[in-house]
Amino acid sequence: MSKLAPMSGYKTTASHNSFKQRFIRDFKLNKLLYFMMIPVLLYYVIFHYAPMYGAVIAFKDFSPMKGIIGSDWIGLQHFKDFFSSYYFWRILKNTVVISVYSIIFMFPAPIILALLINEVRHQAFKRVVQTVSYMPYFISLVVICGMITDFTNSNGVINSLFSLFGYDGAAMLQKPGLFRPVYILSEIWQKIGWESIIYIAALAGIDQEQYEAARIDGASRLKQMLYITLPGILPTITIMFILRMGNMLNVGFEKIILLYSPITYETADVISSFVYRKGLLEFGWSYSSAVGLFNSLVNLILLISANYISRRVNKSSLW
Amino acid sequence: MRRASRTIMFSLMTFLLAGSALTGCSGNSGNKEAAPSTDSSTEAAAVTYPIKTDKTLTYWGALPNALTGVRSEHAEVPFYQEWQKQTGIKVDFTAPPTNQIDESFNVMLASGELPDMLEYNFFGFPGGPEKAIKDGYILELNDLIDKYAPNYKKYLQEHPEVEKMVKTDNGSHYAFPFIRGDESLLTFQGPVIRKDWLDELGLPVPETIDEWTATLKAFKEKKGAAAPVSFVGKPRVFNELGNGAFVGAFGVTRDFYLEDGKVKFGPAEPGYKDFLSLFRQWYAEGLLDKDVATVDSKVMDANITSGATGATWGNSGGGIGKWTPIIKEKDPKASIIAAPYPVLEKGTTPKFGQRDYFMSTGGMVAISATSKNAELAVKLLDYGYSEAGNRLFNFGTEGVSYTLENGVPVFTDLLMNNPEKLAPAQAMSLYIRGNTMGPFVSDKGVSEQYLNLPEQQEAVATWQKTDMAKYQIPLVTPTPEESAEFANIMADVNTLVDEMTLKIILGTEPLEAYNGYLDKLNSVKLSRAIEIKQAALERYLQR
Amino acid sequence: MMQAENGLKNKAFDWMINTALILLVIVTLYPLLYVTFASFSESSQLVANKGFLFKPLGFSLDAYKSVFSNPGIIKGYGNTLFILVVGVTLNLFLTAVAAYVLSRRNVMWNNLFTFLIIFTMFFHGGLIPLYLIVKNVGLIDSLWATIVPFAVSTFNLIIMRTSFSAIPESLEESAKIDGANHLTILFRIILPLSKPVVAVMILYYAVEKWNAWFYASIFLKDRNLFPLQLVLREILIANSTDNMSTGASSADQFMIGETIKYATIIVATVPILVVYPFVQKYFEKGVMIGAVKG
Repeated sequence: MSKLAPMSGYKTTASHNSFKQRFIRDFKLNKLLYFMMIPVLLYYVIFHYAPMYGAVIAFKDFSPMKGIIGSDWIGLQHFKDFFSSYYFWRILKNTVVISVYSIIFMFPAPIILALLINEVRHQAFKRVVQTVSYMPYFISLVVICGMITDFTNSNGVINSLFSLFGYDGAAMLQKPGLFRPVYILSEIWQKIGWESIIYIAALAGIDQEQYEAARIDGASRLKQMLYITLPGILPTITIMFILRMGNMLNVGFEKIILLYSPITYETADVISSFVYRKGLLEFGWSYSSAVGLFNSLVNLILLISANYISRRVNKSSLW
Repeated sequence: MRRASRTIMFSLMTFLLAGSALTGCSGNSGNKEAAPSTDSSTEAAAVTYPIKTDKTLTYWGALPNALTGVRSEHAEVPFYQEWQKQTGIKVDFTAPPTNQIDESFNVMLASGELPDMLEYNFFGFPGGPEKAIKDGYILELNDLIDKYAPNYKKYLQEHPEVEKMVKTDNGSHYAFPFIRGDESLLTFQGPVIRKDWLDELGLPVPETIDEWTATLKAFKEKKGAAAPVSFVGKPRVFNELGNGAFVGAFGVTRDFYLEDGKVKFGPAEPGYKDFLSLFRQWYAEGLLDKDVATVDSKVMDANITSGATGATWGNSGGGIGKWTPIIKEKDPKASIIAAPYPVLEKGTTPKFGQRDYFMSTGGMVAISATSKNAELAVKLLDYGYSEAGNRLFNFGTEGVSYTLENGVPVFTDLLMNNPEKLAPAQAMSLYIRGNTMGPFVSDKGVSEQYLNLPEQQEAVATWQKTDMAKYQIPLVTPTPEESAEFANIMADVNTLVDEMTLKIILGTEPLEAYNGYLDKLNSVKLSRAIEIKQAALERYLQR
Repeated sequence: MMQAENGLKNKAFDWMINTALILLVIVTLYPLLYVTFASFSESSQLVANKGFLFKPLGFSLDAYKSVFSNPGIIKGYGNTLFILVVGVTLNLFLTAVAAYVLSRRNVMWNNLFTFLIIFTMFFHGGLIPLYLIVKNVGLIDSLWATIVPFAVSTFNLIIMRTSFSAIPESLEESAKIDGANHLTILFRIILPLSKPVVAVMILYYAVEKWNAWFYASIFLKDRNLFPLQLVLREILIANSTDNMSTGASSADQFMIGETIKYATIIVATVPILVVYPFVQKYFEKGVMIGAVKG
């Protein structure tokens, strides 16, 4: 949200007043807004905050029959179990590394695609690119991962292609060093189109007059892209980036377990896949709840930090 | 986000598990030894069916998967109609969506509205069945069985080894279980190999590890097999080794087993290193699939049916039954047969092999602690263990789903060659439970007709010849306190074992790295896990 | 001179972009083609196949016949359509209103509201408390149970709010002078200026509703209410070859599972793919500015 808006008069004077006076003043001015907000606030209270007490099962030995309230407290036991796991540091590190890689490589990809699509002059071609590139998002992960495995196997297409450039031909998913590149690249493949939509929409909002002015000045298309288009969608990029930071520890387990194997655990095993394997032995609602709580806490801290920095640096932030 | 990922995890878990031994054996059935319903009980009053009652019981349980799209409710399925008719008890069924059983179960418990009967795996209940009773989910059935379940009681009296299995350490009965009625129904998985290739090359079916090495070499060199032997690596790499295929030749499994009254963990025993050495050599020589770490069931299907792979490990149904028609389509001479579990020295009996327990953890039905009709529910469930009930569950209704030929029930075309073009699995699920699981004793007559390829029939006999019964740890349960600790340790242990196994076999690490892994296994408290297993075993033996 | 140089540069620029995008189209089109071909293939040939598919292997409609023979499919489309139309309407209305409020400057509690709303992205009570709430408000076994508890997506709300915030305040001034109230400003000025983001919201919410099956499986017991995805999931699982390791010998049943996997994807995906081209036209350049001037 832009903080550049000029402060309106009332606030400057009101800020000297007491909280109570400000409160009354604000309420009088914004009554209708608060009134409009009631249904949404009610929704959040009923369907998000009211059930939130359930999070305490992370500290309990949850038994559905006794209910969330009635289950026995066991304190931090689940957290201790998690932190003291032999592989805790490895799975934490892998989770963060995969996330950071995907922020570095995956995050810009849809932005670049949106910028490229924006430069296409042929309208029909433009639509085809948009429509086709978002399709893989809808194909189920099992099928997509089946293709990835197939293509990167010892006689797979991608493997053969790389062999021309001296690759040794072993199945790529059996090489710990290649797991992350395969994971990230296939992630881009599947989601680039879908994730570019938000930026393509943002592009529509850019004032066309700026381009005309630039053309008169003789700016090249590349320059126009870098100095008009990109800044034009910067607020959207910022918001998406902050939200992405709040997802740091959420590396979904589905794709990981479809692609990894013990030979690549050292680079591929993440928090969610480890918890999944543990769940095969004994599924603990409380344990996975505790891990989830830990993830959320870290994520929230990262999001707040990103928001804070962004507010300082480029004046746009979530709150 | 947490909520979503956890729930997805649950479903995916069940999805992946669907292929494992839990459901692995449901294509089987009943026992002719089942007790006649009337003359049996000394303490229990005989029950005459149909019972006259106007009460309606409630029952929660999933419909067999095969019925998806065929019927959507229990009430529409002839089998359930017949069960109610024969017992005289009206039952109101609720079915959770396929594959959403755990979530549905948990929200049902949380909502506090429990039906009289619950078809659910209480053996796998976190903390074990004893905890399910203690926490007030389900009833302890001991008294009820004594009073109202003469048929089930009689069966247990005649089968003391089964009786031990179906109770908890404290001796509590907690459910009416699915019982496999014959030794031959316990085994359904093992090594398989292309028989036509062996014949063509003039080779015998391999028995020893050396013969296997020679055979695989011939497959590679003379049949051009790119991956002579391969294994499905999902959900767990070399999943089969738990049962002792190949690794068993070296006197160990990849899991816990029992030797001289002591619980042992295979990967920590010296034999495991020898096994790693063998597979490492096979991999280096190109006998073991180069892509072995990433093979899923789809790739395996393709490898087998396209002739890239000539040997693997499979089920009589899902393996031999699935692949045979496809390879025969291309080459009528082609066939896949079961090979015995490999040994080191010719003529010796394999130590380990796949062997399930008489009691299955699937298909059991418990009675909820809040039920007001427990007595009637017990009578309904006891019917499955009576002679008439055994027929109904295994073969359905005479004249409809089976006819008697020389006193033996034979399935009609309604099931095996359905006029509405339903596959046998679907048609069977309409009329019987013999091809899935439920509260009854299965009869081998069902699988004999169901698994009708000669290769499938022979397979069971081949795989059965092991000493597994001697080395198998019975269905033990850790105490509720220990079960979480056990799971924590094993999560680390299994990760270590899988990593070590694959890294050494694929040559990423030298064979000597094995010793280092042994130290790591100790540091994640493997010994404590063995201790827990041992204690559970001793409690079991005390039962 | 400079013009010509730029023209040449621009041509090279165009050429590069078009090549890159054509490559992208080929690469991203392939999965759908593969799935389509696989769904029409003979199952026995498909099972034996590895690698690329450039056409169906053989030709068979068995998988589609099997999927459409399920009586739940038609009902499933109907239920999903209801959830989609009613749900997305409610989503849009609430999200737009909340986004409008939160995008106003100088509203004392807005930052707190925003934080509290974002907080829910991170902390949940889990499935059981939510189930109990849904039960207590009487929605269990009603299609509303798949709509009301998901009335606002926090992520979407933030996106919409960001977009509303970017609209210059000057555009509202005239309306304010005319004494228009907030509802009028929202519906007469802000929303018409925000067609692209509204289009994105429709797409996001529609796809979310279309793909949702999990909560439906928990909140709905009556099979007549099952949405399409839940029906398809059941078909898929029932036919998954993994599940058939039960000892069944009916090979035809095993194998059709492989093609059914792809047929269900086509049945589930094609209708939602069609939505995008309709939404696309709101992304054209200058939609927003045009609206302002007009």
